[in-house]
Amino acid sequence: MIVKLQKIEVQSRKDMEMIDITDQIERVVLDSGLKNGVVLVMTTHTSSGLLVTEGIECLERDVLAHLERLAPKDPPVGAYHYWHNRYLDYDGRLGFNAGDHLKSILGGVNCFFPVENGTLVRGSRQRAYFVEYDGPLARTVFIQVLGEGA
Amino acid sequence: MSDWAVDFHTHPLLVREMIARHPDLAEAARKTFYIGNNFQPLETFHLELDAAGLDKAVVVAVDATTALGKTVYNNEQVAELCSLSDRLIGFASVDPNQKDAPAKLEAAITQLKLRGLKLDPAMQRFRPSDAAAYPVYEKAQALGIPVLFHAGMSWAPGSRLEYGQPLLFEPIAVDFPKLNIVLAHLAWPWVTEAVALCLKYPNVHLDTSALYFDNPRDFLRHAMTQVIPKSVFENSLRRQILFGSNYPRVEIKNMANALRWVGFSDDFQKLIFGGNAARLLGGIA
Repeated sequence: MIVKLQKIEVQSRKDMEMIDITDQIERVVLDSGLKNGVVLVMTTHTSSGLLVTEGIECLERDVLAHLERLAPKDPPVGAYHYWHNRYLDYDGRLGFNAGDHLKSILGGVNCFFPVENGTLVRGSRQRAYFVEYDGPLARTVFIQVLGEGA
Repeated sequence: MSDWAVDFHTHPLLVREMIARHPDLAEAARKTFYIGNNFQPLETFHLELDAAGLDKAVVVAVDATTALGKTVYNNEQVAELCSLSDRLIGFASVDPNQKDAPAKLEAAITQLKLRGLKLDPAMQRFRPSDAAAYPVYEKAQALGIPVLFHAGMSWAPGSRLEYGQPLLFEPIAVDFPKLNIVLAHLAWPWVTEAVALCLKYPNVHLDTSALYFDNPRDFLRHAMTQVIPKSVFENSLRRQILFGSNYPRVEIKNMANALRWVGFSDDFQKLIFGGNAARLLGGIA
């Protein structure tokens, strides 16, 4: 039985950005010696996410644009407001990124793939993305493998 | 005139490389300045500037030795950080309660090559108009450097609102007419008084690093269009407004976007984002 937890850092470079981390997940699986089991991936940040979708640039833009429409960073003037817009005494600053937290909830913060014969089981077009909603920031992602060794 | 776009007010408290070299900076960030954000590589600071469409940032020290027995970055640390990045402009800080403060300031400017002075009367606990601080102002004026004062409300624990009141800075503006003074945070909640000072004294300036409720967009709209009509800034204070974010209390991108959203003319925005800073610094490159 193999249970291994690996931490990786993802440096986002923009305010909102989709970063393909499929290769990094595959590398962790390969290095772990896992033959059959699952790999679980999660972001530790509540204004970021993990998504699985087709790995093409136009779709990346559509995903981000749609989430911004659903949960805008700043609500339309006079339409509604976010309760989160207040001083957070535990953080020493205002929390005004409710829209980014909401995007994280809508898109999800984790994903998983089965692993068979040491290889990720995924659709031919599926890629795993770390999704930045409030960057640029250095972010932490955990990848855990679980299953039988070779 | 330079075309550089500058954030005139940042605190480099999250930079991992500096915390690795000086572990006490972590405590300064958490307990003295009181900020909870994760520490970040210097690259994130650069990317923050990129995301905001800016080229450079002023990074400041704060010397609160008498008040707190601490500094939040000292002058040597600011100089060390600036040696790691050509996008950072270092400002010194001295403790006006110490007799050797003018000499320390001169050394920071002439030897460490810092470019301005940061004072935070609320955190350093001194009355800005106190005669004890005058030798520091005299030295700054003689050196030809700007002084960035914290003004208005401060979130830092133990800091006093009293020392952030704009009218406490009037004697400095009068007695040091060649000293360029920048009052940070639009001196909120005393924006009207701060604007009055600027209207009366051409050596008084304001930075825009103000966020005390709502979000950056709505706060700046409130302060710069409702508390004071937009036309006052646009018509009368063109040379006296500088962009500042107060990063990391606010991300640079958010304050820059908020200021652009206010809708000042393009030429005024160029002054706010760079031209006025270049004039105060004697050039930015």
